Amino acid sequence: MTYVQKRSLSGLLFLAPYALAFAAFVLAPIAVALVLAFMQFDLTSRSTIHFVGAKNFSDAVKDDYFRQAFVVTLRYVVLMVPGLIVASLGMAMGMNAMTRGRNTVRALLFLPGMFNVAVTAILWMWFYDGQFGLFNYLLKGMGVGPAPWLSDKSWAMGSIVLMSLWWACGGTAIILLAALQQIPKQIFEAAAIDGAGPAPLFSKITLPQLKPVLLFVVVTNTIAAFQVFGQPYLLTRGGPELSTRGLVQYIYETAFNNYRLGYGAAMSWLLFLVVAAFALAQYRFLRRGSV
Amino acid sequence: MTPKAALGAMAIACLGLGLLQAGVNPVAPSKKKLELNFWNGWTGPDGRIALLMIRKFNEENPDLHVSMQRMPWDTYYNKLMVACTDGRGPEIFVVHASTLPRMQRAGFLDRVDDLYSGPEGVPKSDFEPYVLNQTVFDEHNVGLPLDIHPQGMYCNMKLLRSAGFDRPPQTKVEFLRAVRALTKDTDGDGLPDQWGFSMSQWQNNYQSLVPQFDGRYLDADGNPTLNSPADVRALEFFEQLAKEKLLPPPENMLGWIGFRQGKVAMVWDGVYMLGDLKRLNDLEYVGAPIPVIGNHPGTMADSHVLCVRTDLTHEQREGAERFIRYFSAHSVEWADAGQVPARLSVRHSAAFGKMQVQSAFAKQIPNMLYPARTPVLFEIALEINLAVEKVIRGRADAQDALDVANKNSQGFIARDRAEQRK
Repeated sequence: MTYVQKRSLSGLLFLAPYALAFAAFVLAPIAVALVLAFMQFDLTSRSTIHFVGAKNFSDAVKDDYFRQAFVVTLRYVVLMVPGLIVASLGMAMGMNAMTRGRNTVRALLFLPGMFNVAVTAILWMWFYDGQFGLFNYLLKGMGVGPAPWLSDKSWAMGSIVLMSLWWACGGTAIILLAALQQIPKQIFEAAAIDGAGPAPLFSKITLPQLKPVLLFVVVTNTIAAFQVFGQPYLLTRGGPELSTRGLVQYIYETAFNNYRLGYGAAMSWLLFLVVAAFALAQYRFLRRGSV
Repeated sequence: MTPKAALGAMAIACLGLGLLQAGVNPVAPSKKKLELNFWNGWTGPDGRIALLMIRKFNEENPDLHVSMQRMPWDTYYNKLMVACTDGRGPEIFVVHASTLPRMQRAGFLDRVDDLYSGPEGVPKSDFEPYVLNQTVFDEHNVGLPLDIHPQGMYCNMKLLRSAGFDRPPQTKVEFLRAVRALTKDTDGDGLPDQWGFSMSQWQNNYQSLVPQFDGRYLDADGNPTLNSPADVRALEFFEQLAKEKLLPPPENMLGWIGFRQGKVAMVWDGVYMLGDLKRLNDLEYVGAPIPVIGNHPGTMADSHVLCVRTDLTHEQREGAERFIRYFSAHSVEWADAGQVPARLSVRHSAAFGKMQVQSAFAKQIPNMLYPARTPVLFEIALEINLAVEKVIRGRADAQDALDVANKNSQGFIARDRAEQRK
């Protein structure tokens, strides 16, 4: 065996444990889900399991609840992703400008992201509680009546997004801070000498320099937002009147409460296609003009 | 003692201790215990009582050892379905009567007709036929009803007396009078902060009135009748309460918590909530039947049914049946967890008679209605829930909301029938 072959083999051996786990717990379920998506597969009625072609997909497109859940998910994505990017970028720039205490602030901002989603939701349920909640207590102190944070259709999604921002901003801000710190200071100094103000510095230097990292942050957060489940499920169970029931929750209920695994798998694949299309579009858009 | 002898003595001592630790009697080796797994969703105070009963059973049956695993109901049903369809489920498990059609269709519920026959059998005459029939499929019993959990009314007697009521209201007129008298602004901020009545589980509250108006969810052919005039009238009652602002607004819907805090005088909920109230020392409460709002008394109910898995060995099956019979025979102990025993003989016992809330709720048993008996119950239940929610929030009237629920339910049932034909 040559040296190169030995190196390749040892590389493969190092990879093998993860690759096996990846194949068993990611690739195999994906393949099974693909097969299931073309089957009528009701766990309560195994004698009726059979191939149905694309029926599950066409049923999903015609399903009012699927469309409603898709719109709910899209609303979450549209509110969450830009909100997250703007808030995280603001926080990162603030930290970047700090000369003292940056590490402490960074650690504090990162802290919420370390909580499990269940812990975060329980905490925020107390914040949002109609009667004893912190937010309504503060509103009462200002002479304002209680707000229906989670119990009104027009408020619930915003409340879920607010909690998600609190939970996720720290991690994204730290990634952006690291990217900001990589931008050479000389570029800013040269531009400042040429008379550039804060706005041109931000739009002509900071943003273009951050573009590769922004691409990563936008795409990963968009994918995560499309898969939202824990926050609405724990805070509102998808209510009021299903106004916060996203696609993943609907898929979960279809597959694991109603045991319609075939239909659930088909909806999962449709979600995957939508997420892939969005990720690809964002990738192409943000890559334009990049070096 | 030489070092060699000391080592030998130590080795013998270790062996003896090891045997004792392993539960092996070196003098008279006993038969190995048969292990039985018992799954349920009793994660509240009821689970602790079940655990005590199981300990007693294990003590009285030295050849068996029953281990209980409990988990929240929604997780439980997922796990049970997957485990049992794969042949790895527990030997004994609990299924709600309303969920039996799905589980029965999945094919892992064994027939238990022999539980009701023979000298040690539980007599069928010890159950209401309506309750027992919930467990019958193709003329065979697939489980034994352990209890009945009807919805009923919990009343804060201190508040009721403050408004001049010395007993829980029994009629619509009395109920509305009490609700109006007890809904007040006590702190002078212009908004009510004490409520005569608050809905707890919206859907269950509505379903508690459906039988009072002779409503049903399905007709004899299994087609949905959610928008029948009777069902609509039941929902209109809550629509009226919401319109008259006799219900707390949704953002401040106090429900059960409000009752616990003494801010709500009356709340309708299941008998199983009693375990929660028992922990409170300063709340003076009584249980009562749901007032007659419709044509006659009535309420919603369900049952925990003890079932066994198919493919058990003879020994496992015998042990499981012994356990089920024991649990059923001792269901007065179980009643203390906040349940009404399914067996008439237990309900007629003096011990049960002393349980005020359970006895009061049990009075409704002749007029109770279980949820729709269909494998697509969860989907239909969601539609009912949505309809009630829309009405309480004032987004639809009762007729429109139930029309939508009925139309969607027709779709679920038609789809299910079409899938079953293939």
